[in-house]
Amino acid sequence: MKSALVLMTLAALAGTSSLAIAQTTDGVLTVATIGEPPTLDAMQTPTDIVLTIDQHIFETLYTYDTEWRSVPLLAAAMPEISEDGLTYRIALREGIKFHDGSDLDAKDVTASLTRWMAVNSKGKQVAEVIESLSEDGANAVVVKLKSRYAPLLATFSQASIIMPSEKIADTLTDFIGTGPYALKERKPDQYTQLVRFDGYKSPEGEPSNYAGKREAIAKEIRFVPVPDANTRVEGLISGQFDFADSLPVSAYERVEASGNAKPVIYENTGWASLNMNMKEGLLTKKALRQAVQAALNPNDMMLAAFSDERFFSVDGSIFPKGSLWHTESGVARYGEGDPEAAAKLLEEAGYDGTPLRLMTSRQYEFHYKIGEVAKAYLEAAGFKVDMQVVDWATLTTRRADPKEWDIFITHSNFPGDPTTINTITDSYPGWYVSDEKAKVVATYMDAVSDADKQKAWEGIQAVIYDDAPLFKAGNFNAVTGVSTGVSGYTPTYWPHFWNVTPKK
Amino acid sequence: MVRIAQALLKRLGGMAIVLALVVTVVFVIVRVTPGDPAAVMLGSDATPEDIAQLRTKMGLDAPLIAQYGQFVLGILKGDLGQSIFLDQPVTTALAARAEPTFFLTLFSILIAVAIALPVGIFSAVKRGTLFDQVVVTLTMVAASVPSFWLGLILIQVFAVGQGWFPASGYGGPDTSFLERLHHLVLPAVALGIVNSALITRFTRAAMLDVLGDDYVRTARAKGASERRVILKHALKNALIPIITVIGLSIAMLVAGAVVTETVFGLPGVGNLVVSAVLRRDYPVIQGALLVVAAIYVLINFIVDMLYILVDPRVRL
Repeated sequence: MKSALVLMTLAALAGTSSLAIAQTTDGVLTVATIGEPPTLDAMQTPTDIVLTIDQHIFETLYTYDTEWRSVPLLAAAMPEISEDGLTYRIALREGIKFHDGSDLDAKDVTASLTRWMAVNSKGKQVAEVIESLSEDGANAVVVKLKSRYAPLLATFSQASIIMPSEKIADTLTDFIGTGPYALKERKPDQYTQLVRFDGYKSPEGEPSNYAGKREAIAKEIRFVPVPDANTRVEGLISGQFDFADSLPVSAYERVEASGNAKPVIYENTGWASLNMNMKEGLLTKKALRQAVQAALNPNDMMLAAFSDERFFSVDGSIFPKGSLWHTESGVARYGEGDPEAAAKLLEEAGYDGTPLRLMTSRQYEFHYKIGEVAKAYLEAAGFKVDMQVVDWATLTTRRADPKEWDIFITHSNFPGDPTTINTITDSYPGWYVSDEKAKVVATYMDAVSDADKQKAWEGIQAVIYDDAPLFKAGNFNAVTGVSTGVSGYTPTYWPHFWNVTPKK
Repeated sequence: MVRIAQALLKRLGGMAIVLALVVTVVFVIVRVTPGDPAAVMLGSDATPEDIAQLRTKMGLDAPLIAQYGQFVLGILKGDLGQSIFLDQPVTTALAARAEPTFFLTLFSILIAVAIALPVGIFSAVKRGTLFDQVVVTLTMVAASVPSFWLGLILIQVFAVGQGWFPASGYGGPDTSFLERLHHLVLPAVALGIVNSALITRFTRAAMLDVLGDDYVRTARAKGASERRVILKHALKNALIPIITVIGLSIAMLVAGAVVTETVFGLPGVGNLVVSAVLRRDYPVIQGALLVVAAIYVLINFIVDMLYILVDPRVRL
């Protein structure tokens, strides 16, 4: 009798749970994004909006965990690295299928990485150090390097997406990956419709950032471009959207009070910086760049830009707390906003009153507000400031010409590998070229273990603070909104919707 | 008939000149505006080398005169070029956005005319009464209200508050035609109310002009009913300025609903133009503005032809 009761209870529970699954798996997640992706070719155009959508369709060999460490995704394990650090053997997980039903094999990986090295900016950098890329049987690839290259796995974790070798072309027309969702339809400026891929084989392990188990719970995800931030807010509150990206911080209370949705903060989304021109003009003098560092007050700039301490943090370390790369090494002339010290540096450098051209954009309102406060502090220190406010497209054109500007304001995310931050690249506007930098970056490149890389990165950050190619304003958080009833959403830099259960 | 044919030919010649000017001016303006489509497409992290490579791929490094020649030749062949950002022909992009813009324009103008004509006529007939005063004040307020602001208020009340209408967009993949039209209700009301103000004021003024004329007095003296006097004698003679303002409103709605389309996230022509400007998608800006200008010119042409039908005395 007792056992019959237990069996009946178990049967009832099983019934309930299968019912619950049936309900959730029929759901659709409607995601309001900040705009239309220019393409779904993440190799060609690895912008945030493209990567946000693409990560559901495509996968890379490795991906980032919570600490932004590269961990296996399509790879079966961490690579086997030869003693000289020049050969990486990467075994692939077996039984992985593409959305067209074909099997993933080593040929697909080499073909995809070859295209990535031809069209992607980071890929091109990697191509310079790769001696050869070959298949080792059907389920492993071997990468041979000309010299040690520490960021290799980080670059294999982003935009180096794997697709079937037969589908590879200069211009992609078929977007077929191995991800938990497959592309069904894209109507530019209306929606991108993804449907659950029933043949998906998930990696194992606890979810951690982008790593670990991925379960496509929602039947469908629709990414809807909604460029107007207020419309995203209203659409979220009215229940039209299940998730709304990049909400204005001023909407936080309104979303919270609505009862229909809740605001979600993703800490340390990115960092804002004032990048200095080291090639031409006033700031080619190191003392003047250091005077800029001394003059600025990061807290006031970030407060003006984000209005509330919930939405930003001030931290001299280029990478935030919690990241593998967080360090206080070399942090100097940061956090004070000391006009007197800056004035002294100006005097020592023989500043002649030439206007400092500070270029910013209102397309990102926080850039403009940071610029306004920076101008006040720089003027207090004795700089004459010519603030130029232009639209973002104009700024990106002008900053390519070293004759046009002295400082421009921008923002970046925190990449998986510290040496992939733009400022470290010699050719990035600002043109930070120095022997010291080259030396410490070379040390980093030579590192193989995470511990050695961390140590080398400390050296790089110290040199950056001394050379002053940029001034870090601070870290900012992103506010997004999730509809009440949607569960399992974990905030990440590129919001993802596997493991997310739609509302019933 | 000959008179209409002559007017038609004269107008067509004028239209061709206007469109040629539009083609040239738009081409020059988008090229002299700072900003690079390749840089916008590749995002803030792009290196100068990547940008240069994409420029070459997109043909943006060709001499300006060659690009202009190619653009004009394309137009003559009915090809408006290829969108840089959307990677599809401009004509396809425009066709995909024609439906929401067409129905938004249609509904807005229907709402505007449905409000404006009776209110404007009645206000003129009841000149100086409380009703007239209220109409004059309300139309002034409505004409001063930006349609996007009204749109936001409508979203707050009817989408967020009551949940009767969607807050934005034009529906998903499985949305029926009627559901798509449902998405247009709030933006059409916002635009319709704002446009009705102008048409009401014109209708009222035009009616006031004719209501005091001799033939109206004569009609009344002949014993014609007041309804016949107003609708047959007065309104018919007041129609020219009213048709003009309705025609202009339609023409302006085709491209002028930009902000409303943006607020409501409608994938219409106006929204396409704004996005194209921000993305510096030259072919789309050129193509869309050319089509909008053509529609504008065409509507004006139709209005001119209507003048002849309404008032045989009109010479074009």
